[in-house]
Amino acid sequence: MAHVSAPSQRISRRELASRVPHYATLLITGLLFLAPVAYMVAASLAPARDTLAGFAVFDVRQWGLHNYSGVAASLSSDSTGHLWRFFAVSFTVTVAVVGLGLVVNSMAAYALSRLAWRGRGLALFAILLLLIVPFEAVAVPMFYLYNDARNTLWIQIVPFIGNALSIFLFYSFFSGIPHSIDEAARMDGAGPWRIFWRIIVPMSKPAYASVAILTFLTQWGSFLWPVLMISDPNLRPLPLQISVFAGQLPPAWGQVMAFGVLLVLPVIVVFLIFQRWFIEGVASSAVKG
Amino acid sequence: MASPALLLLLLFVAVPFLAAIGFSLYNVRLGDPRAPTFMGFTQYARILTDPDISRQFLQALLHNLVFAAVVVPVQTALALSLALLVKKTIPGVGIFRSLFFLPVVFPIALVAIIWRLILARGDDGLLNSALGFFSGGAFASQDWLGSELTALASVIVLSIWQGCGFQMVILLAALQQVPAELYEAAELDRASAWQRFIHVTVPGIQTTLVFVALYTMILSLRVFDQIYVLAKSGGGLNEGATRTVMYEAVTAAFDENNIGRASAISVVFFVIVVILSIIQRRATREKES
Amino acid sequence: MLSPRRSRRTAATVGAALSVALMLSACSGDSGGDSGGGSSDGTIDVWAHTGQASETEALQLLVEKFNSSQEDVTANLTLIPEADYTSTIQATSAEELPDVMEMDAPTMAAFAYDRKLIPLDDVVSSETLDNRISGVTESGTYNDATYAVGMFDVGLGLWGNRALLAEAGIEAPTTAEEAWTTEEFTANLEKLAEVSPSGKAIDLGEANGFAGEWGTFTTTPDLWSAGGTLMKDGKADGVLNSDDNVKALEEWASWREFADPNTSGSAFPDGQTALTWTGNWMYPTFSEALGEDLALMPLPDFGNGTKAGHGSWQWGVTPVAEDAPEAAGSFLDFLLTDESISAMVEANAAVPGSTSSLEQSELYGAGKPLELFATNLESACGSDGVTEECIAVARPVTPGYPTVTSSFGSALLAIWGGAEVKDELDSAARAIDSDFSDNNGYQDD
Repeated sequence: MAHVSAPSQRISRRELASRVPHYATLLITGLLFLAPVAYMVAASLAPARDTLAGFAVFDVRQWGLHNYSGVAASLSSDSTGHLWRFFAVSFTVTVAVVGLGLVVNSMAAYALSRLAWRGRGLALFAILLLLIVPFEAVAVPMFYLYNDARNTLWIQIVPFIGNALSIFLFYSFFSGIPHSIDEAARMDGAGPWRIFWRIIVPMSKPAYASVAILTFLTQWGSFLWPVLMISDPNLRPLPLQISVFAGQLPPAWGQVMAFGVLLVLPVIVVFLIFQRWFIEGVASSAVKG
Repeated sequence: MASPALLLLLLFVAVPFLAAIGFSLYNVRLGDPRAPTFMGFTQYARILTDPDISRQFLQALLHNLVFAAVVVPVQTALALSLALLVKKTIPGVGIFRSLFFLPVVFPIALVAIIWRLILARGDDGLLNSALGFFSGGAFASQDWLGSELTALASVIVLSIWQGCGFQMVILLAALQQVPAELYEAAELDRASAWQRFIHVTVPGIQTTLVFVALYTMILSLRVFDQIYVLAKSGGGLNEGATRTVMYEAVTAAFDENNIGRASAISVVFFVIVVILSIIQRRATREKES
Repeated sequence: MLSPRRSRRTAATVGAALSVALMLSACSGDSGGDSGGGSSDGTIDVWAHTGQASETEALQLLVEKFNSSQEDVTANLTLIPEADYTSTIQATSAEELPDVMEMDAPTMAAFAYDRKLIPLDDVVSSETLDNRISGVTESGTYNDATYAVGMFDVGLGLWGNRALLAEAGIEAPTTAEEAWTTEEFTANLEKLAEVSPSGKAIDLGEANGFAGEWGTFTTTPDLWSAGGTLMKDGKADGVLNSDDNVKALEEWASWREFADPNTSGSAFPDGQTALTWTGNWMYPTFSEALGEDLALMPLPDFGNGTKAGHGSWQWGVTPVAEDAPEAAGSFLDFLLTDESISAMVEANAAVPGSTSSLEQSELYGAGKPLELFATNLESACGSDGVTEECIAVARPVTPGYPTVTSSFGSALLAIWGGAEVKDELDSAARAIDSDFSDNNGYQDD
């Protein structure tokens, strides 16, 4: 491959010229994509009267942090919910669903792909069937069925741990690992648990990463279920809280946007740190699936 | 080893789904302590044939289908264009990759709120000001979310903005797996850029393209969050022009306490998803063979 | 499957057991907001809606004051956003409710029907009950028992900016008899659009969402004033879709071209529009912003005399507190003292809910700024028999109200968006009637 890439310092003039339209297109689409984000950030810094005054939000001279202190002040009692708690709830729920989901679903996938047990064929068929049942199709009956668990933390977590798609992704990955590897381990006297933890799991890091990221993205933005189940401000996750906050009268749009910035900031930081994993994780899950 | 996951799936997917079938046959009322009365298939008959209820339901279904019919091709094409734009490793391209992926980490509830402000009616909204400014005042302010003509289109635009980056990353990974030799060979044959795209790129990523389209299709059927946020918290969204099947189910349960009808809608929704999935599987299998 | 309620219980139990096991083994459970309380330990849980910021603050202060005023009872306040408030109560089973909860007046009958409220006749002191103004008494009564008590009643009116009115050469009517006819109103909107800085003459409250309760509250006076109403004798067909109602809502929808969307939430106090159509709770904001320029006017007359809504947020006690309702009763008695009422109405400018506090009011009474609202309430009536003389009308008291308001609200939103009025009302009427017949007319016995 070495012969393909020319040393960068000797880019030909023609190539340079051909890059101008490329960069121009990138820049224009990039700006269009960035505009809503830029608006959110600007509106979070601008004074309230400028939020809905066209370009006035971008007047840097007026910017300040008052909306941020405003959010902190208006969300600071048990009856409205505390700013930090919304983060704590979202964080706990997401981490628990991702973490427990990785363990439970990969175990199931392992059992389905490697172990012989009664009902395996049926279980595999059921998983494939469940793959096409979207959560939305069961949300309302589930809301009625589990109504007694309204306003609890567990009802935000437990229903999302078992996940047919995750099982399926793990299953496809495990099926690609040569059987000879666990055969060898079995010869050495290792049981199924040992083989799973010591051999399969370490070999399947990419699968874990992609399932983790997919689960993380859906869970962090989860909205429908909390709308149905959570009314206690102390158990409200972030996406629900921002819609509640935006519905308040009179609307404090600057504060809402500040809250929006605070809401995505941790995810963006995580994203920037694990960028490569994110992109590879998303990509590999799809190419496999 | 599979039992925890299977048990969870049983409790939180299979049982609620079977319960939905049961509920849909009764007049189950949210919050009513009286025993529900048996109604047979009345709820289904109403959803599908009653002039009022079916009108709303079929309208909602139509919105889902229009949403899918627009979003699937447009978002896939846009994602592919973006992937092609950022495929070449040129200086600074990483920034753009992250930029296009950035909206993916935004919960859709937050996206709806940001866009609600951008699309605000009157001259105050950012979009109206921008269009007015660049057209020298020739462009009259639009009621993007309230007008019957533009409401669904607005929701589509904000949904594409949020979801596009995800597809882009998947397609980018697929593009990078197309062997470079194929391109070199095509170049030797003096194939034009368009010819190379049609004869090398598209066949090379065909499976992934199909996957992306399928995935977007299912997502389109599930649309709920953005409609709910925009319609319920005074966003001024034209409900009649944008209601979706899930929105119908949730409002039947929540605003009218009608769990029976909401369950019937869920069951019908499930059947539609299954039918569409089967059609797609068929179509893709035929293509592949 | 045969008994949805039983299967629900079983599933929930299994789910809970399973999750407890999971939580114990995997992550430390976090039990922040426990709902459903016992009055036995001296703590009562209280749920209220998040209204205007000042109103919410006033309530928080009252709760603090109650807690420090005595040592036996501690009230624990939880605020739930107005948009989700009613459906939250509806979705919460009776055992999980707080001891005391707030509710919007027209939802009271549904909660009583669902056995989520207990009669207050022996819970709240008779002095408190006897001191109520008649509007509050009426909104709290269902099947001849008191299920709710209110700190205040509500007023809906047309507010004007005198400076802009003068600029357009328009004089503001002050009494119900002087109310503008719809022709005058529309003509004035045209004139006022020219002098309003936003180019729009009025804020009709679109940002509050017409599909929700606000829609019903704000447009039913138009129907009553046109000679129509929502339901009669438990039937909507032929009533809700009457010609009077159709004409009234066609008129209402035609105002859209003059309506400011008020996305900022402050179009009227900022002087952007000349008029706004809203309730008493905005008075503190308006009078601070406009001062002497603020005018309160009756809503336009559609032919049957000007009308206004009545019935506001009120308080009830749930079966959770049934065994020991004294604590809940003492909290309500505290909320209904003249002192508490005046603290609250200072924040939301509502009509004070007790006779004695109404007499002392700074805002209501002859020559006071909000006199109109109090006089409106003096001639109040129910939604079933609206006469030309009556001004303040209550929304229908029926357990089927959630469906009524949801169907009517959907129709309103569609009409506001330009749909055919008759078709929408026909459809809403059929939906309401079918729901009533499914539920045996909501007979409660």
